[in-house]
Amino acid sequence: MKREDPHLSDQALLSDIDGEVSANEEKQIRAHLKACWKCRVRRDELENAISDFVHFHHGQFETKLPSAEGPRALLKAHLAQLAITQPRQPAPWANLSHQLRWALAITACCVLVLGLLLPQGVRHRGTRSLGAIVSIPDSRLTPGAALLMDQREVCTAPNIKNKVVPAALQRKVLEEYGISGAEPRAYEIDYLITPGLGGADDIHNLWPQSYSATAWNADVKDALEDRLREMVCNGNLTLTQAQQEIAGNWIAAYKKYFHTDRPVPEAR
Amino acid sequence: MSSGLTDVAATRTLAASSVTDPGNRRDRLEEEVVALFDEFRDPLLRYLSGSGAAFPDCEDVIQETFFALFQHLRGGKSRDNLRGWLFRVAHNLAAKRYHRRRRDLELTAGWTEDSAVDPAPSPEGQAVFSQTRQRLLAVVKALPELDRRCLFLRAEGLRYREIAGVLNMSLGAVSLSLARTLGRIARRTQQGDL
Repeated sequence: MKREDPHLSDQALLSDIDGEVSANEEKQIRAHLKACWKCRVRRDELENAISDFVHFHHGQFETKLPSAEGPRALLKAHLAQLAITQPRQPAPWANLSHQLRWALAITACCVLVLGLLLPQGVRHRGTRSLGAIVSIPDSRLTPGAALLMDQREVCTAPNIKNKVVPAALQRKVLEEYGISGAEPRAYEIDYLITPGLGGADDIHNLWPQSYSATAWNADVKDALEDRLREMVCNGNLTLTQAQQEIAGNWIAAYKKYFHTDRPVPEAR
Repeated sequence: MSSGLTDVAATRTLAASSVTDPGNRRDRLEEEVVALFDEFRDPLLRYLSGSGAAFPDCEDVIQETFFALFQHLRGGKSRDNLRGWLFRVAHNLAAKRYHRRRRDLELTAGWTEDSAVDPAPSPEGQAVFSQTRQRLLAVVKALPELDRRCLFLRAEGLRYREIAGVLNMSLGAVSLSLARTLGRIARRTQQGDL
């Protein structure tokens, strides 16, 4: 805590100012300050620096911050919408209702069957290297799961793409995919069936999508999700079919609905 | 460096009656989330925009953050230090956005050359104010990203442990960063040797 000279360091003085030192350290610092003019002056300089910064920092924003009324109303509308579309949904990651658990189980089983029919080449097995590029989820681990929602409920709900997945669950997903040691920022824990299509907050609906994927990446999948939702809401595709197609093989679904073998740049 | 925020606000809990009836609980949860929005929206907006994002982008991140908070609380997750939780989630959501857009943001939206409110009535006072502001601006702009984020979070009232949680740093690194930054500010504002 002390320099060789032996005055107090800026770090010690600032920690004391901010109340971040132990009682014992505080006692020692106070005793030193009583005896040392130089450190008392330095402490005042740091206090003044804080004062200057806070004054200017808040002054910078005083007249610039947009009104909170609009964003506040938007938040309330979103929360109200959530209450309408999921009126009886309990905790998203635990304590699922009996009805919902059955819906999830049935959907997961259906999608699992679809997944088993896929060619071996698209399924991944065993432990991956830490830099593995995951473009298609493992159907055994991520068969997909959807909430018990109909077309009207899905289309009146906000089109949510990226809900926050708790860190513990993210780790669990990475662990299941055998890439638990990977840099978390290398992957986005993505919803296989997007919440905008009724996708559920369930580990069977989550997979690690690699940011390193160059062609079939998250932006391409986002475009497919938008296209499918649009078709569902326009009545050109049933919700169940959309969910099954995106869960079965989203790349194949993309090729089918964009009529192309490669990602369309405009659609990204 | 108090921001007026209290630890009580950061650890608010629901009233006991709110856990009995599900409908009532949801209503109270919405009220609680909106109340937290009223309390923390401006600090979050200052923090996010201080990193260079435009206000509309920051507002989007804040909406996502409070939506996530609603889900978090509805799921019965921990209510410990909700202020730290909000800043951490907002920070991560913003980082994710920038990562996906591959943006290289500079300090722009928050700290600008001509936007500060000038409280000094006299010409001499205004000159001093302007000079000090320019020096501060230069110091803050020259800070490494992590040091700047530490400083902005502390200015919003977060304790060292909360800052460490948001930025995934050690307590010692937070302490060292703030001391280094304030040492620079103290030196520059006194000497004016820019």
